[in-house]
Amino acid sequence: MVRTSLCIAVAFCGMMESVYSQEKDATSVPYDDLKKEISLLRSKLDSLTSAQIVTGFGVAGEEGLERLEKRLQELERKVDAVSRSTAAIVFNPRTTAFMNVAARSDNLKVLDATGEAKIDNRPFLRTIELDFRAPVDPYAEAVAIIAIEDEAGTGFAIDPEEAYGLLKRLPILESAPLGMKVKIGKFRAPLGVNNRLHMHDLPWTTRPLVVSKFLGTEHGEFFESGYNPVGIDFDFFLPNPIPGTTLEMNADIVKSGELALSQGGETDQPAFIGRLNLSADWNNEHIVFLGASGYTEGGPSSTSLFGLDLTYKWAPSERRAARSFVAGGEIFFGRHTFEDTSFAQITRKPYGGFGYLQYQLSYWLYVGGRYDWVQEPADETITSRSWSFYASYYTTEFLRFRLGFERQQNDIQNLNSVLLEVNFVFGSHPTEPYWVNR
Amino acid sequence: MHSQYRALALVPLLLLANQVLDAQKKLKVVTTLNYLRYIVEQVGGDKVDAIALANPKQDPHYVTPTPRMNQLASDADLFVENGINLDLWAKNVVDASGNPKIQRGNLGQMTATINVPLKELPLEVSRAWGDIHPQGNPHVWLDPLNVRIIAENIAERLKKLDSPNSDYYESRLGSFQDRLDIAMFGEDLIKAIGAKAGDILVRKARNDELGEWLKARKLDSKLAGWLRDAEKFKGVKLMSYHKTYIYFCDRFGLQIAGELEEKPGIPPPPQHRDAIVELMNKERIRIILNDNFYSRDASDYIASKTNANVVVTYIEVGATPEIDTYEKVISYLVDEIAQAAK
Repeated sequence: MVRTSLCIAVAFCGMMESVYSQEKDATSVPYDDLKKEISLLRSKLDSLTSAQIVTGFGVAGEEGLERLEKRLQELERKVDAVSRSTAAIVFNPRTTAFMNVAARSDNLKVLDATGEAKIDNRPFLRTIELDFRAPVDPYAEAVAIIAIEDEAGTGFAIDPEEAYGLLKRLPILESAPLGMKVKIGKFRAPLGVNNRLHMHDLPWTTRPLVVSKFLGTEHGEFFESGYNPVGIDFDFFLPNPIPGTTLEMNADIVKSGELALSQGGETDQPAFIGRLNLSADWNNEHIVFLGASGYTEGGPSSTSLFGLDLTYKWAPSERRAARSFVAGGEIFFGRHTFEDTSFAQITRKPYGGFGYLQYQLSYWLYVGGRYDWVQEPADETITSRSWSFYASYYTTEFLRFRLGFERQQNDIQNLNSVLLEVNFVFGSHPTEPYWVNR
Repeated sequence: MHSQYRALALVPLLLLANQVLDAQKKLKVVTTLNYLRYIVEQVGGDKVDAIALANPKQDPHYVTPTPRMNQLASDADLFVENGINLDLWAKNVVDASGNPKIQRGNLGQMTATINVPLKELPLEVSRAWGDIHPQGNPHVWLDPLNVRIIAENIAERLKKLDSPNSDYYESRLGSFQDRLDIAMFGEDLIKAIGAKAGDILVRKARNDELGEWLKARKLDSKLAGWLRDAEKFKGVKLMSYHKTYIYFCDRFGLQIAGELEEKPGIPPPPQHRDAIVELMNKERIRIILNDNFYSRDASDYIASKTNANVVVTYIEVGATPEIDTYEKVISYLVDEIAQAAK
């Protein structure tokens, strides 16, 4: 009797496997059925095991039971593996879309950075970013972030915001010295903290003035700005004598001439970027980052930039989704030497920076402010200042509304603007920590 | 010349010493969550150095990856994740660690919950349902029977990474599972059944046949441990803030009437609170489970309108100084719910 039951059970197991292979691409319901069937088999196996314990039925019976047990375990593993996958699409890149819409109301006529497009008192679909990422093979991962950007109301341009491969290891090098990661392609350069954030991650509606004026912009700080050259980035840990802290370094070689400060002075020589980042983290509640960044390029005209940044983040362990605080600031000192039309050597040494605070009042609501000051790279005697205050309302991390007021002051005029922004994130978003805790 | 021979003679000694040192070298294991660290320590004993990245008081969904974590993982031999889209932040740490051994597809990276039977697999995967987990509910460790499987998975991986100590890991796995079985079913019952008692009881419990099976064998009076304690609240309905307790409640016979969150990951809006008050009063539900890392505001408001008890729950090892083992996590939940159900 016991042997007959065993045979039936083993035959049922075989049948189950063929059912499993046929149902591989179906929804989770068949998996649940399979799991129930396996559960029944388990039950039968237990009855047989109990019978064995009570009566005993020899070595052959025990071996049969062991075989059945192994078979069941295999089936359970397969069902589990299939329920965790999603059929043929698993090799497609993870795709996320970020859509940012903003409107502004101003007390003065406002032109974009080119001086050609009028941008005051109107709405803009500022950017749609499509983020694709997937492992290439066991050694590398690739990321392509394609931005469809508003050209200050005159149309849209398609740009690779970032597109790079990240080498994790090589067949010939199983362990990387100092935990080195190598990024190759086009990426937001490690100059300060803000430059590495995308528009949809910013805690404000506009870029800080120093980022758009020193690092790069096409249409001004209201539109996507920053510095994202083509090159290679080496990111590694440095031995650190200060206990409880982490010291990281980036060393980059990039195409020269693309930094706003260098004013298009492209040469055959590459530009170099270095960044040191010292950080400390107390129970994931208090996190401090202290950074120093540098940029240099040679050639007929030379440009260098040095920056310091400090960021402090706080979020409690408990009620983390509802309370947080961030404070930070960045300062940049630029130097650009070139020959004017009369071949005289001119050196410009502008500097600028910004500081900000942000406090989270509830799960949904954040408030904050920022102060900017910057000297014009082409003429240090002209200084711009800006005060801005914002309230951001999140329904979830995927949908944000923001209302802000910004007062920009320079030697010529005072511009007051009310800014309204909506940000949508949809798709299988990558596991980036969105700004503070979203 | 003699000194050269002496130096040559030292070479095999040095090689031997090197081998001895290698054999004594502990595996460095980094885990995302603290319950995983605890299991690694139970199975790995003094052959491993284990460290968890998350603060045990924190919501495991919302851990901020930091450079400190990246550096901790940079020389790990094994990186253990819960998976099932809970500790998604782990990928940032693994990527930024620059450690080739723990990248996906290598022996040094593992998802500990493989083979665990998952619950609440969604039939429709859409953000319209909130922060759902496409692969099922990830809070699997709140069922001790699942922890047995997780411990097996970890033991298998340790054996592969450190095969000379396979027997050691196997033996420690057995001891840990025995401790869990005793805590779950009671020592008398385990002894009464004898060989493979743990395996048999676990299967019966998993198939919801344990009660009948024990009665048929007149062993039901010997049942003790968590399952005996849980009989005090068997069938009791309760509310939970988040979908954290499906595995715990299914195992210990509790019924979840609903969640305070209207949809996973989204705090309860006022109109949803009122609907819950109505439901709780109608069905005489008197217990609300509120994870320590979620706000108590909604629970307290609802409790004030329903005379319910708010049980502040801890789901991680080390969340308080007293709850420093996995067994204490389960004991705490069982005791607190039993108290609230009185």
